[in-house]
Amino acid sequence: MPDPEKRFAEEWRDAAYNCFSSGHKFCREVCPVMQVTRNESWSPTAFHANVVAMEQGSLEVSDVAADYVNCTGCGACELRCPNSLFTGDFYRFRTRTVDLVKGVRSLAVRQGVHQPGWQRWNELTAERTHEPVADGVSQERVRDWAQGLDLTVGGETILFVDCEAAFYRPSVPRSVARVLELAGYKFGLMNEQWCCGGPAAEMGYEDQARRFAEHNLADWRAAGVRRVLVLDPHDYITFTEDYPKYFGESFDIEVVLVVELLAALIREGRLVPHLPVERTVTYHDPCRLNKRKGIWQEPREVLRAIPGLTFHDVDRVSQWSYCSGAGGGLAVEKPELTAKISEMRMGKAAELGVDTLVTACPWAERPLTAAGEARSIGVVDLHELLAESLGVAP
Amino acid sequence: MTVTLGDPVVEELRGILGHDHVLTGKADRLNRTRVPAPFPVHRWAERMPDLVVLPSSTEEVAEVLRLAHAHRIPVVPRDGGTGLTDGAVPLRGGIVVDVKRINQIKEIDLENRTCTVGTGINALKLNEVLSRHGLLYPDDPASYPCSLVGGRIGTSGWSLIGSRYGHTRDLVLSFDHVLPTGRVIHVGDGIGRKITKSSSGYQLKHLFMGHQGTLGIATEATLKLFPKPEAEFSPFWAFDDYDTAYRTVGQLARAGVATFAGAVLFDEWKVAYLRRDDEAYIPQPASVKALVCAALYGYEDEVRAGGGRLMRIARSMGARYLGDEISQGDWAARHDRYATPLHGRTRSGQVVPMSWHCEDAAINYTNLPAVRLAWHEIADRLRRASDVFDDWGMFAYTNGATGADYLTEIDIGIWEQRLDDAAWAAWVAAKRDLAAVALAHGGSISACHGSCREGEVDLVPEELGGGFDVMLAIKRAIDPHNIMNPGKYLLDRAYSDAYPDPDGAP
Ligand SMILES: Cc1cc2nc3c(=O)[nH]c(=O)nc-3n(C[C@H](O)[C@H](O)[C@H](O)COP(=O)(O)OP(=O)(O)OC[C@H]3O[C@@H](n4cnc5c(N)ncnc54)[C@H](O)[C@@H]3O)c2cc1C
Ligand code: SF4
Ligand code: SF4
Repeated sequence: MPDPEKRFAEEWRDAAYNCFSSGHKFCREVCPVMQVTRNESWSPTAFHANVVAMEQGSLEVSDVAADYVNCTGCGACELRCPNSLFTGDFYRFRTRTVDLVKGVRSLAVRQGVHQPGWQRWNELTAERTHEPVADGVSQERVRDWAQGLDLTVGGETILFVDCEAAFYRPSVPRSVARVLELAGYKFGLMNEQWCCGGPAAEMGYEDQARRFAEHNLADWRAAGVRRVLVLDPHDYITFTEDYPKYFGESFDIEVVLVVELLAALIREGRLVPHLPVERTVTYHDPCRLNKRKGIWQEPREVLRAIPGLTFHDVDRVSQWSYCSGAGGGLAVEKPELTAKISEMRMGKAAELGVDTLVTACPWAERPLTAAGEARSIGVVDLHELLAESLGVAP
Repeated sequence: MTVTLGDPVVEELRGILGHDHVLTGKADRLNRTRVPAPFPVHRWAERMPDLVVLPSSTEEVAEVLRLAHAHRIPVVPRDGGTGLTDGAVPLRGGIVVDVKRINQIKEIDLENRTCTVGTGINALKLNEVLSRHGLLYPDDPASYPCSLVGGRIGTSGWSLIGSRYGHTRDLVLSFDHVLPTGRVIHVGDGIGRKITKSSSGYQLKHLFMGHQGTLGIATEATLKLFPKPEAEFSPFWAFDDYDTAYRTVGQLARAGVATFAGAVLFDEWKVAYLRRDDEAYIPQPASVKALVCAALYGYEDEVRAGGGRLMRIARSMGARYLGDEISQGDWAARHDRYATPLHGRTRSGQVVPMSWHCEDAAINYTNLPAVRLAWHEIADRLRRASDVFDDWGMFAYTNGATGADYLTEIDIGIWEQRLDDAAWAAWVAAKRDLAAVALAHGGSISACHGSCREGEVDLVPEELGGGFDVMLAIKRAIDPHNIMNPGKYLLDRAYSDAYPDPDGAP
């Protein structure tokens, strides 16, 4: 019986060698962690090379587990890699650094190697069935954000609201709800919504992630849900990538990203933003939309539909090297790195002379807002901005 | 001379650099031995440094070197770690000085058109900033996304558009350089940082470039800038045979068009390699056996005029223009087309991940065809002997606008997973043979990567003759204890009893 490292190395062998044999590190200068730390041990190349070393028996997971904290899961390296760019389509190959990082993290947890911040976070999440994003978070308060909105529970379509938005940024889901109402789009809320499990999966706590996923899917099934609307890019990844992995073919829920839905409603004329919003803005492509899912047009469509905005766009390819630093659990274990990455992102916005950075990701908002204060640049959520222009601000 | 670092040294280094910037972990060290050139993975552990430091300033580098000098500890400078001749790979343990954190842009001088940067910066990243001022730092190797300024200095690298703007040695005006003793000097032309031509004293700038970290560490460099070109024209032409393509390249280079930035010649093996499932390569009829590309940079009106002339020359030679779309796409992909391991093939055609190894030489135009045949013969021998090797074809890049000499490279795919001592020995022997061919044809065994790797390094004394003895004398004078990147370039000979006397009598 080979040891767990060996088995892991066998599973990742080919992928690791595909990178190891290139080894040129074209990915490096787009990696947000690498950009602020310049530490090559925390680069996609090293993440792959370590697997080769594990296969040789020169490294154990306990030697490297802490290195794998240093990844936001942004996916920039995967896109920038010539192996994805050039031979990818033909071989149906994409460099999979994000999955590899997740894999090593969960290998570590299985072997009892924990990162203190992540361990605490996951214990609290297990306790409350919600991520500890703010004090007083509990299952009873999961729908507090919707107070006074008169939303039903259940139905064919429901809106899933991530922990950060539900507890920390309630005006985001409120805006979404009011905009959808305005368009006459019917949806309900979930009966007993737990954390989607995505962050647990990202930090390596796979059993917990699965447990949460199973609960949520059972809840949807029980209420006859066919379609789940998601406003958070992280949830979108979890529902479109992790859940199908857990449940296979039987996962028959349609997952709809709210930004895409809103862009369609605007296109169809069912939503007509008309109140001018006098701001000079640029848009921050959330990593999980642009880089991981190739969704970059719809958010821009929504922005361009809002009158009064002066929009200084940065093309999506340049934004491959931008990140808020908030993803992949980095902010939990290394908040100082998240802050540096956010500062770097805000620096790019400042160069454009904007007064506002528009985001479409609740998780990015906290560190970006902190970084924006130093430069007097405000951070506004795209959904909220649209609600304002539609006259339904929460 | 293997040095084990005692704790006091580690503590001293932590005192200089702070705790977080002295790395002793196994993975930290393993990952500082890796360069893209294939290496015997089964002997990875032999190349480990004892520790890695991440300094953030010239002063910190100087203190590290002072310490290393006092304790006689080997020091290996590392920047991008993309060098192809193992320059940044430690051979004797010791300290890897990784300069990536020294990457600030200190000054952009719009009047004199220079900028001063930390040597840990990448040219692509630098150009993102410079472009806002309408400026360009035109050091453009195929490794543009990953190599860094310090490594460019350490290798005296080659820019794909060097015929127009010059290569690294021309583009770096001056730099702060930490000597192995820890003393900091500034090298360049004259005393100023931004002087481009001086006749005072010895020309030390060239001495402190391309030494592969054997003479110290460059920390802060002043670079020459150019107006960001308004227009770029990069026609690709197809040919039915190598010979016509070769003659066309010569004509293009000798035409003396001022905006001419370079020409590249791809032979039939290279064309076949690029055809392997490469999405960026738009399929060409099987009759296409060689490709030529030229690149022109400058103002719209001058590029159009120069481009017209090159188009006429190419047509008169029987070239078939591939059209704007293919040309632009292929030129834009110039940094990404190397090193796609999935293009590796065994003789039976099985796809296996292979590492890209590029063996380069500087060859006069007139000798290119002969060198090409001899090199492919060597590659063929390798391939016949073992499935570990594949022939990925040859490139030739013009150097100056005269077209006198070319960066000539043969790319060999190597199935690294299967390397063992026997395959490695065959590879090293082949490298030696490739280098010998270059010398036999009056060339240099390296035009850009350097030649301190196992195999070709054996021929360096032969290439340099008496110059190699001068190299030994300089090495001993500047690095009395042989702490800088020991074992490279056969420079250990400078410290042996048989060391030839620089006065002349060996
Ligand atoms: C895909 C690919 C394409 C390439 N194409 C080209 C090309 O077109 N032209 C070309 O010239 N090269 C090319 N190379 C090779 C490589 O990129 C160059 O040799 C480059 O100059 C190395 O830079 P680096 O920053 O990676 O240096 P490293 O690999 O870190 O170091 C290179 C050498 O310089 C020394 N060194 C590093 N930093 C310093 C310093 N601060 N002071 C003194 N010495 C130092 C090191 O000890 C080592 O000997 C290519 C490589 C790859 C992977
Ligand atoms: S991830 Fe891709 S770009 Fe980065 S080193 Fe590996 S192969 Fe190269
Ligand atoms: S996913 Fe993002 S943070 Fe992680 S290694 Fe890749 S580029 Fe870096």
